[in-house]
Amino acid sequence: MKYLADYANILTRYDLNIEVARQAARKVAKDELLQKVADAVVKGEEEEAAKLTKDVLQKKSPMEVINEGLIPGMNEVSRLWDEGVYFLPQVILASDAMNAGIALCEEKMGKSMDKKGKVVTHTAEGDIHDIGQVIVNALLNANGFDVINLGADVPVDKVVEACRTHNPVMVTGTALMTTTMTAFPKIAAQLKRLGLAIPFVCGGGAVSEEYVTSFELGVWGKEANQAPGMAEDALSGDNWQAMRGKWNG
Amino acid sequence: MNLSSEMAYKSADEMMFGTAKKPVKTKRGIAFGGGHVVPEVVPHPRPGSEKTMKTLLREYERANGDALERCVIVGHPQLMIENEHIFQMTHNPKWGGEIAAQTARQMDDYLKKYGLKAAYRATPADLRKPDMVNMRDSDYTREVLETFEECAKYADVVSIESMGGKEVFDHAIIRNDIAGLLFGQAVLGGRDMEWMWTQIVAIAKKHNCIPGGDTNCSEANTAMFMAGGYLSKDVPHTLAALSRAICASRTLVAYECGATGPTKDCAYEDPIIKSIAGVPISCEGKTSACAHADLCGNVIAAVTDVWSNEAVEYHDMFGGTTTAVFAEILGYDVAAMNASIDLGYQKEFQACLVNSDRYRGPHGFMLSPDNAWQIGKAMVDNNASLYSRAKAAAMKCGELMLGDPLLKLTAYEKEMLQGYMKDMQALPDKEADFIDMSLKKYSKVKGFVPAAYGL
Repeated sequence: MKYLADYANILTRYDLNIEVARQAARKVAKDELLQKVADAVVKGEEEEAAKLTKDVLQKKSPMEVINEGLIPGMNEVSRLWDEGVYFLPQVILASDAMNAGIALCEEKMGKSMDKKGKVVTHTAEGDIHDIGQVIVNALLNANGFDVINLGADVPVDKVVEACRTHNPVMVTGTALMTTTMTAFPKIAAQLKRLGLAIPFVCGGGAVSEEYVTSFELGVWGKEANQAPGMAEDALSGDNWQAMRGKWNG
Repeated sequence: MNLSSEMAYKSADEMMFGTAKKPVKTKRGIAFGGGHVVPEVVPHPRPGSEKTMKTLLREYERANGDALERCVIVGHPQLMIENEHIFQMTHNPKWGGEIAAQTARQMDDYLKKYGLKAAYRATPADLRKPDMVNMRDSDYTREVLETFEECAKYADVVSIESMGGKEVFDHAIIRNDIAGLLFGQAVLGGRDMEWMWTQIVAIAKKHNCIPGGDTNCSEANTAMFMAGGYLSKDVPHTLAALSRAICASRTLVAYECGATGPTKDCAYEDPIIKSIAGVPISCEGKTSACAHADLCGNVIAAVTDVWSNEAVEYHDMFGGTTTAVFAEILGYDVAAMNASIDLGYQKEFQACLVNSDRYRGPHGFMLSPDNAWQIGKAMVDNNASLYSRAKAAAMKCGELMLGDPLLKLTAYEKEMLQGYMKDMQALPDKEADFIDMSLKKYSKVKGFVPAAYGL
């Protein structure tokens, strides 16, 4: 077969043109030992993060390790992700590393650390395509939210019951198929009937903005990485109308 | 089950669209891989139509019927229609069967009235999500197999997008974990397919139906979609390409169990499968932009025998309903390919398809016929196990990507690829050792039950 030597007239590799220059992570901790903990999070090294956390807990309080090492490390990861330096797997691995450290701190404290607020997440009834939800869970968790993960193929009533029990700041729904996203307006209607006007962020596959904004409470989530920002808005008191105004349309 | 030890094609040069070493004929006279390419349209029902069997039957009657009618209107001689089941069609096996029966009657009518040769592919939904049900013993498992029984009575072809290994794959793909992909896709996925496809082939044979094939939609396609286009930052394209090479090991199992093709359309790994198994393949590319973007819109047609659009939701467009419009587009694409065959220009046409996407990204590159063939060859040369051939496929794919200076990679993509290669080199040679290692490493993955895979 004949092959071209030059493809300039055939295609343009925009990804090569826009690649963000690699950059080193910033120093985020004042203390040298805590900086090592943060570095392990930034590098996504779960075992190293756990080992260092164990060591540092001999000298520092659990809350110091969390607030001055683990969380600043994760915040640095978020910055690198926002600036296009990091890809998703690096964020997930960093989240795993941070969680390993937090688990040890919580063990020493004898209680769970306080989270920012609860978010109920689920994938629609009849739909088992939940990798989008898995990413949403990881990103929310990495940003300090308490994720109530209901999993995939979740009946409408179970989602409503979880919202009634946990009173989350936000609820999310993921669906790949248009024929399963029809559960979303049913959930919204039941929440409304119960007086739970919780912003209901729906996204995934074939879930369109037009569809989600056709029912009350619905806010369309275009990408999984929007979830932490949306949850922050909900936490700060934005209602579903305000969130829809900001993120949709 | 014997793992393939020979290539169906002596070289990539022999591979051509429209012709397969092992063509397959249908009852209405279509020969897949018999010399010409056949279009395949995939309608998807509108939300709300799934409420009852009656509403869904009506939806498919119109969607499938519009496609058949458009072929007559514009003069397309052949058409395959695939219905990828929505949840309700497999959860209620009778629904899937009734829709298959209805479509078969429509096709018989069009054959009788106009001479249009049509075929129907039923693709039951694999409802078995590994972390939620026992893959081999659950109500969903029984429903899937019962749906095959119902559909095989009327369909020309049955296929599936099986889910084995998805729990480990999902854990691994977002963690840059190449070993997890090998374990989830090849070791677990391949074992699940052997269990599933032995039964599917038996059911199909009982009803004189063609056992088509399987696709790694739930894993390799997930990787490809997450890698996305040039703006995405979710998964490196190089990892998605390795995932594609790995999945050929499990997809091939269907044909080793007796499936004959036409393969399942969204299996982008099918050029590799054709090089080994010689079965007619169904592919999708630019015409599946209605469902998702890929970076191999033309090259993926280079050796295909059936040309598909993945799935399009049924609704109105200026030019008619979507299924009519896509049947028309697919038919014209195929008409150009078939004209090139009859003119003797197929090699030139194939070169245009390949050159248009060969260096658009890792997927188009590794699926170019020459590279797909080489990956296939690495598999048959390392056929001691599902694992060994998957690892060989991924290593070959990586070597090819790193070895061609015209395939440009971002610094990040290249660095990641070099890391995956290093990781793979450090893995055990023998499958038993790899399984021992993986059972420990992935024991905490949510819902992973080794016994569900016979481990």
